[in-house]
Amino acid sequence: MSSMSASPPVQLPSKPRDTFKIVVSTVFVVLFGWSAISVDIKWSRLLEAPADMYRLFKAMYSDIPWDELSRLIGLMWDSIAMAWIGTLIAAVFAIPLSFLAAENLVGRPIAWVTRQVFNVLRAVPEVILALLFVPMFGLSPMAGVLAIGVGSIGSLGKLFYEIIENIDSGPIEATDAVGASRLQRLRWGVIPQVAPELTSFLLYRFEINIRASSVLGVVGAGGIGGVLADTVRFKEYGVAGLALIVVIVGTIVVDTISGAIRHRIVAGRTIDIGEAQKYVVDTGGLS
Amino acid sequence: MIRFDKANVTYKGGVSAMKDLDLEIGDGEFVVIVGLSGAGKSTLIRAINGLVPLTSGGLNVNGHDVPNLNAKGRRELRSEVGMIFQGFNLVDRTTVLNNVLMGRLHQVPLWRTLIGKYPEEDIQIAAKALDRVEILDRAYVRATNLSGGQRQRVGIARALAQEPKIVLADEPVASLDPPTSHVVMKYLQQISRDLGITTIVNLHFLDLATAYADRIIGLRDGELVFDGPGSDADEQTFRDIYGRSLTADDTMAKQAAL
Repeated sequence: MSSMSASPPVQLPSKPRDTFKIVVSTVFVVLFGWSAISVDIKWSRLLEAPADMYRLFKAMYSDIPWDELSRLIGLMWDSIAMAWIGTLIAAVFAIPLSFLAAENLVGRPIAWVTRQVFNVLRAVPEVILALLFVPMFGLSPMAGVLAIGVGSIGSLGKLFYEIIENIDSGPIEATDAVGASRLQRLRWGVIPQVAPELTSFLLYRFEINIRASSVLGVVGAGGIGGVLADTVRFKEYGVAGLALIVVIVGTIVVDTISGAIRHRIVAGRTIDIGEAQKYVVDTGGLS
Repeated sequence: MIRFDKANVTYKGGVSAMKDLDLEIGDGEFVVIVGLSGAGKSTLIRAINGLVPLTSGGLNVNGHDVPNLNAKGRRELRSEVGMIFQGFNLVDRTTVLNNVLMGRLHQVPLWRTLIGKYPEEDIQIAAKALDRVEILDRAYVRATNLSGGQRQRVGIARALAQEPKIVLADEPVASLDPPTSHVVMKYLQQISRDLGITTIVNLHFLDLATAYADRIIGLRDGELVFDGPGSDADEQTFRDIYGRSLTADDTMAKQAAL
C-alpha cells in the first residue's frame, strides 16, 4: 500500500458525458408519464387488487365442477388440432414462398416483392383475421384454422428465408457443377441443408399457435376460448377456473413434447459412448 | 479435347485472371496447374465448365462452344465434366450415397430426383463410384461423420458418378494432411489412367505436381509461363512461375518436416 501511494498519481482521461444515455432516460420517463395520463389509469385500484383477486380465486376454485372436465379437455383438443392444421397450412405456403424470398436463390427484385407479402401478412394479428373469417365461415373452427394458417405464413416465411440465406454455398456450387437444373439444385443443394431447422421452427410456431388458437375462441372461432369468454361473461366462475387449468396444463404438455422433438431434430442422433463401445465389442465377437 | 483460343477473363473491379490464353489439352491427359494464389488457376478450371464466363476469346470443350452456350447447353456440358473442390462441398446433413447420387441428377428424370427415387441402375453407378474410392461401406453414413480424406473421396465419387469425360479438381488436397493428400492424388491418377478421363488438377505444392503430373502448366498473373512434361520442370521453371526461389513453403514434404 505504502509503495503504491508513494508512486506518482496517474492522470485518468476526463470522463465523457454520456449524452445519449441522458436523452434515452428522459424519453423513457416522459413517454411513461404521457401514456399514463392519456389512458387515465386508476392507480388506486392497484391497492384493492389483492382482495379482488382472492375473491375471484375463491369463486373459481372453491367448488370445481369436475363433471365438466371431459368436455373442456375435448375443447382444448379442438384448439390444439386447430393450431396444428393451421400451422401445416401455413407451411405449405411459407416454404415455397421462402425460397422466392431468399436473395441467394433468386434475384433481389423477386426476393423484395416476396418479402413485402410476408410483411403485410405479419402485420395483421390473428384475432383480426378471425374476426374477418367468422362472418365468412360462421362460428366454427374453420375460421380459427384459416386465421392461424394465414397469420403464420408471414412469420414462418420470414424465419425460413433467413435460414435459407445462411446456408453454405459450397454444395450449391457442386450441384451446379454436376449440371443440375434450378429445381434439382433446390432439392439436393438447399433442402437437405435447411430441412432440420425448418422442421424445428415449424414446431416452434405450432407451440405459439396453440396459444393463439385458445384466444381465437373468444371471438367465436372455435376451441376452448369460447367457453372461457362465455363463462366469465355469465359469471360461471367454476367452469372458467377449470377451463383455465385445462388450457395451462394442455399447453405445457404439448410444449414439452414438441420441445423435446425439436431438440432431437436440431441436435441429431446422439450416441452414448457406453452403448457405442458395447456395439464394437459385440460385432467383434460376431466376426 | 479442351481448347482455349485467345481467352480472357477480367473480373468486376478490373482484376485480370486470364490473359490471351492459348492452350490445348488432349483426351485422357493428366494435367497439373501450378501457380501462386491469384495466378488464375481456379479461374482456368472454372472456365472449362462455365462456372466463370470468359470476357473474350474462344473455348471449346469436347465440342461444346462454351462462351455461346445457353442454360440448357451449359447443364449438358457440366454433366460431362466432374468437379472436385478444395472444401469438398458435400451436403453434410445427408448421406454419403445421396451426395454421390447428385452426380446422376442430369441423367435421371426430374420427378424422380425431386422425390429422391433414383433408378436402380443409377444407384449401382453411385455404388461403383464409392467402391472405386474404397468407401462403399460408409454409403449410409451422414457426410458430416467422415474425416477430411474420406470426404474428399466422396467428392471424387460424386464426380465419377457423372461418368464424366473430364474431371476438374480445384486444390483437392489443400485441406488435407500430407499422407492423406497422397492417397487422394493416387486415386485421381488411377481413375484417369483406368477410365481415360481427362483430369485437370490445381495444386500449389510443387513436389506433388512433379510426382503425379504427366504435364505441368505454370500460371503467373493470368499468363501461361510454363507448359511441359513434369520431368522438364526444374528449379528455373519454378522460379519463373513463382517469381522467386523455392522455399520450404512450396513443397509439401519440406513443409511437413517443419
